[in-house]
Amino acid sequence: MSRLVKKSPSVCTDMPLDNTDICEKLSLFGQLVRSCLGPRGRLKQVHNDIGGSVVTTSASSVLLSVVSSSQPFINLIKTSILNHVSRFSDCGLFAAILCLSLIEQDKRAGLRGRVAIGVNKHLLGLCTAYLQREDCGCKVRLDFSSSQNLIRLACSSISSKPACVLTAAEALHISRLCVQAFLLTVPCDSPGIVRLGKIVTMSVEGLSVLTSAVFPGLLVDMRDVLEVEAPHPNPLRVVVFSASLAGDLSEIGDGRIEVRPGVDMDSQVLDRLLELSEQVLRDEVKLFVCQRVIHPVVQQYLRRRGVIVIERLGVTLMEPLTQLTGAQPVATLHSPVPVTAYGRVSNVSIRQFGSRKMLHLHPPEESAICTMILCHRNETMLSELKVVCQKTEHVLRLTLRDPSALLGGGCTETHLAAYVRHKVRINLTETIPALGCSQAEYLLGVEGFCRSLESVATALEHDGGSSLIDLTHAHHWTLPPDVMKEDVEDSLGFCGCGLVASSPSKQWVCLNTKNPHISPAALSGGATVQPRVLDSFTAKLNALQVAVETANLALDVRYVIQDMN
Amino acid sequence: MLGCTILNHQQHIGLQKLSALAGVTHSSLGPDKHYKFIQDDFSGESALACSCFRILQNLELTCAVGQLVYETIRAHHKLYHTGSGCLLFLAGAWGRVALECLQRGITVGNIILSMSEGMDLCLDVCRRSSVSIKALGAIQSESYGLGLHPSKKPKAQKIKTLKLSRHFCEVESENVSTELQPHQSKHPDIAHIAEGLSHGCAGAMNLVVKASRIQSKNNQDISCSTFDITKVVTCLLPGTPEDSACVLPGCIFLLCAEQASLAHQLQGQHLRVALINGDLSDTYRHLGFKTPKGITCVSEKSDLSSSSKEEEWLEKVVTLLLNLDVQLILVSGLVSENVALRCCRHRILVVEKVKDSALQAFANAAGAVPVTYATQLSKHCVGTGVNIVIWRELSSHDRKPTTAVNICTAGNSELVTVVLTSCVHGKLQSLEDQFWACAYRLHHVLKDNVILPGGGVTEMLCVHHLHKHAEHDVRCPTGEKQNSDQQATPNLYRGVVLHLMADGLIDYISTVMVNTGRFSKVRARTAVSQHLRNYTENFSISAKFSQLFLEGEDVSAVSSAMKSSEGTSPMIYDSLSVKREAWRKALDLVFLVLQTDAEVITGIDQKTDGAPQNPEFAGFTFL
Repeated sequence: MSRLVKKSPSVCTDMPLDNTDICEKLSLFGQLVRSCLGPRGRLKQVHNDIGGSVVTTSASSVLLSVVSSSQPFINLIKTSILNHVSRFSDCGLFAAILCLSLIEQDKRAGLRGRVAIGVNKHLLGLCTAYLQREDCGCKVRLDFSSSQNLIRLACSSISSKPACVLTAAEALHISRLCVQAFLLTVPCDSPGIVRLGKIVTMSVEGLSVLTSAVFPGLLVDMRDVLEVEAPHPNPLRVVVFSASLAGDLSEIGDGRIEVRPGVDMDSQVLDRLLELSEQVLRDEVKLFVCQRVIHPVVQQYLRRRGVIVIERLGVTLMEPLTQLTGAQPVATLHSPVPVTAYGRVSNVSIRQFGSRKMLHLHPPEESAICTMILCHRNETMLSELKVVCQKTEHVLRLTLRDPSALLGGGCTETHLAAYVRHKVRINLTETIPALGCSQAEYLLGVEGFCRSLESVATALEHDGGSSLIDLTHAHHWTLPPDVMKEDVEDSLGFCGCGLVASSPSKQWVCLNTKNPHISPAALSGGATVQPRVLDSFTAKLNALQVAVETANLALDVRYVIQDMN
Repeated sequence: MLGCTILNHQQHIGLQKLSALAGVTHSSLGPDKHYKFIQDDFSGESALACSCFRILQNLELTCAVGQLVYETIRAHHKLYHTGSGCLLFLAGAWGRVALECLQRGITVGNIILSMSEGMDLCLDVCRRSSVSIKALGAIQSESYGLGLHPSKKPKAQKIKTLKLSRHFCEVESENVSTELQPHQSKHPDIAHIAEGLSHGCAGAMNLVVKASRIQSKNNQDISCSTFDITKVVTCLLPGTPEDSACVLPGCIFLLCAEQASLAHQLQGQHLRVALINGDLSDTYRHLGFKTPKGITCVSEKSDLSSSSKEEEWLEKVVTLLLNLDVQLILVSGLVSENVALRCCRHRILVVEKVKDSALQAFANAAGAVPVTYATQLSKHCVGTGVNIVIWRELSSHDRKPTTAVNICTAGNSELVTVVLTSCVHGKLQSLEDQFWACAYRLHHVLKDNVILPGGGVTEMLCVHHLHKHAEHDVRCPTGEKQNSDQQATPNLYRGVVLHLMADGLIDYISTVMVNTGRFSKVRARTAVSQHLRNYTENFSISAKFSQLFLEGEDVSAVSSAMKSSEGTSPMIYDSLSVKREAWRKALDLVFLVLQTDAEVITGIDQKTDGAPQNPEFAGFTFL
C-alpha cells in the first residue's frame, strides 16, 4: 500500500531585494567575506555539527564551498563566485565583496533595476578598457628575465592568507619555491605546441616550513625502501598498471559468476598475474608501479628478482607519472603488456622527510613534472598552506597568458575608482543620452560603483584603522587607529602596494568621505621603486567582470520561486 | 545550511574557551601529578586519566576551539609523547595574554608581531642555554641545581674535569661502569641524564634506563648515545604489584594453556620461525582485495561441504610448514582457532597479535621475510635461531593467558620488552604513558645531543630576557625605527606584550611549584618574583650569569635563590626539541584562535532541526 504525502506548495518571493530576511542574510554573508580579506584578515573555523575536523581558513575557495544558505538567492551569488574561483583560483573574496557591495549600494541609492544595471555595465566597460590599456596607472608589466617580480607576485598571494601562520622569511621561502616549481613546469625546448607540466604537491606535517623543497621529477611514498639500495642500471624501464593487481575479480564488476566445484578462481587469477610478472621480467622492467593494490605474492616474486615495486599510487599521481615516464598505463591483466606501454626513468633515489621516506623518480630527460614538498608544524596550517600554494601556482600560470600584474594592497581599487570618477566627469554630457537615465541617477550609480570598489580596499583593514587615498596617484594608505594627528605623515610610510612613499608634499583624504575630484597620475616610467604587493591581472580582471555581472543579475531578479518538496 | 557567530573582539570567546580548557589540565603539570576521574553521566563509565593528552582524549570536546586544541595535542603526543601539558598550559596562558592585549586596545596585527618577537627571544634563550651532552659528560658541574622541586634528594656534581661524580658510583649495572671509564667524554652517563629527565616519574625512568642499557649491550656498534624507541615494546600485566615491573631483552607474549604446554616442550631449542603479516586463516585476504559477490557454484554431483575447503587449505599449509620445518609462527593479525589447534597438534607454536615493530625486529634478527599468506612461505622466508624461554607462570583461569614466555633471537636480539604491572587495572594506562613519556624524552635528548636545564630554569631565563627587552622598549620607546619600509609604525606595544608573555611563563613556573604541594599559589609567586628580583637588582651577577651560563659553566649564583630549605637539589633537565615544539605549537594555537572571528557550522538543517529555536545554537545566525 502506498502512502500519499501531500505536496507542499512552492514559495514565491516577490522582489527578493526588498525581503528583510534576504537582506539580513546578504549583509551577514558580506560581513563573512569582508572579514576574511587580506594578510590581516580574520579566520573562520569551519566544522560540521557532529564533531568533524575543524578547518581554519580565510580562503574563499574553502569557505564558499562549505557555505550554503536556505535562500537560493544567496546561493546564486555564491555559485557565481565559486565558478570564478575554480577557473582562476585568485580574487574570489574580491569578487564577492565587490558584488555584495554593488548590490547594497544600488539598493540604498534606490536606483531602478534597469538604470543600475545599465550604469554598472557602462562603468565596467570603462574599467576593463582602462585596465587593458598600455598606460594603465595601476598595472605593471612582468619582466620574465628576472624572477623578482614573479616572487613578489607569489609572495603577495601567499601572505594574503594568515591561517598559514608564516613568518616573513618563511613566506619568502615558500614564494621562491612556488616560482621555482612554476618555472620547472615550463618546458624549455619542446617544439610545436608547448604543454605545461604539472606540480605535484605533497604535505609533511610536523616539520619546519623552511624544510619545504621542490624537486624535478616525482616523489612517491614508499613503505619498504630497503630494496632500492641495490644499484640499478640507468635508465630504468618502467611499467605502470592502472588495473588492480590484487588478484580479485574486481574487473568484472558485480556480475554473476558460475563456477564448477574444484575450480579455485583466486589461484587462477594469481597464476595469470605471475605470468604477467614473468613477461615483465623478461622485458627487463626494473620499476613496477600499480595505481591500486598488488597481490603480495606478486610483490614478493618481483622483489626477489630485483624489481622495485610501488603499489597504491593513487589516481592523482597517475597522470604526472605517465607524463614523466612516457609509459602507457596498462588497464588489463588478460593480455600481454605491449612493448610500447613501457616507459623509463633515468634514476631512482631515496629522500627522507621526517619519518616519511619517499622514492624520487628522476625524469629520463628534461621533463616538466616536479614535486613540491610542503612542510608545516600542524595540520591546520599545512592544509591552508597547500591551498595557498596551489592558488599561487595558478596565479603564476596566468602570467603566461598576460604578463602583467596589478598593484596590490588596495591601490588598484582606489586608483580605478578615482579614474572612473574622473572619466565620468569629463564625458558626462555624451554618456547620459545613451544610458537613458537622468543625470542625477547616473551620478548616484557612479558613486555607488566607485564606493563599492573602494570598499574592497577598506576591507583590507580589520583593526579599526582608517583608509586614506592620496590626491596625486590615488593609491591606498592605511592609518593605524591610535595615531595622533601630527604623526600622520610618519605613520603612513608607504602606500598599500609599496610604490609610493609618504612625503610632506602629499595630501590625503579619508575614503568614504566626499572625495575631491582628482585625475590620478601614473607614476613616472623609470621609477626605481618596485611595488611590494602585486595581484594577478588576469584573475582580478575576470573577478571584476564576474562581480559586476553577478550584481547585475541579482538586481534583475524579480521573483524567487522555491520548490518546497 | 550554515550557522555563524561573529565574535566580539573585546571578549574574544575563542580565547576564553582556550584558557578555560587549559585550566582543566593544570593539575597534570610538573613532576607531581594528580589523577583525574572522568565520568560519563550517561553510560556511567569512568576513566582514570593523569596526563593532559588522556584527559582531553576522554573529554568529548565538540566546540571548534576544543577540537582544534585536541588535534594539536594529539599531533604533538603522537610525535613526542610528552610536553602536552606544557603546550596546553602555555596556550591558555598566552591566550589570556592576547585577550588582555585586546582589552587594552592593541590590534591583532600588533599582538601577533610582538608575540612572535617574544617567541623568537625565548627560542633564542633555549638555543643558547642548551648544553651539549658531550660537554655534560665532561663537565659535571655543580651548577643548574635550581630546585623548584625541593622534594628531591640532594646530589652534587663536580665541575669541568673528568672527575667522576657520585652518580657514577651509584650505578648498579656492571657494564655501565666499565664503559664509562675509557670513553667517558664520548659517552655521557645515561643514568645521570635520565634521572634529570624523569620529571617525577623515577620508576618509569628506571625502566627506560634499563631498556637503554640492554640495547647498548646488544648493539656494540651503535653508540650508547642513542636510544631506539622503535625496538621497545611494552607488555601490561594487571593484577601484579607495581614494583614487579621489569625490563627484559626479547619479546614477552602471554600464552594460553595449550600453547603454554607446547612452549614448555620447545624451550631451549633453536627454532625456525615464519612471520605472517595479516591473519592466519583460510578466509583472510590481503588489504584491498574485494571478495566478489554473486558467485554460485554449479555442480552435477552433490555439493562438497564448505568445511572441506578449509580442510584442504589447512592440509596444504601444515604440509608446507612441516616441510619447511617451521616450529614457531608469529602473526601480526589473528589466528583462526582451527589453524591454532592443528598447528599445536603438529608441535608448531602460533602466536597472534604481534606488534608490527616486533615483527620487523624478528625479521631482521632471525633473517626471516614476513609474508601475507602462509602459502607464500618458502625456504628463504623462514628465519632461524629463535629461542623460547618460559618467563613466568601467571595464576589465572577462565581461558585467560596463563604463561608469559619470552621469545628472543639468540644472537643480537634488538627487542626489549618493558613489563608494566599494577594491581589497579585502570592505572596501567597511566603507567604506560609515563613510561613512554620518559622513553621519548630520553630518546629526543640523545637525538638532539643537547639538553636544557630544567626545573624552570629555562623559563626563568626567558622571563628575564623578556623583561630586559620590554624595559629597553620602555626606556627608549621610539628608539629604533628600523626597516621602515617593512613596518610603517614602530611597535609601541612590544614592551607591554613581552611583559605579559613573561607573566605567562611565571604563571607556568608557579603552577608547577603549587603542584608539588609545598607552595601555596601566593608563596610560589613570591618565590619566583624574589628570585627574579635577585638577578635584576644584582646587575653584574645577572650579566655574568647569562654570559657564563650560556657557555655551559657555573650558574650557582642564580640557583641559590630557588633552593629550598633542604639545601641543594638534583639536576633537572628538559628536552630542547620537545620544549621548543610545545612552545611553538602553543603560540600557533593562540594565533589561530586569536585571528578567528567566526565559527561556521555546516550541515545544520534549519527545517528538521528547528535550529533557530534550538538552544544549542543560541547566539548563532543562519545564512
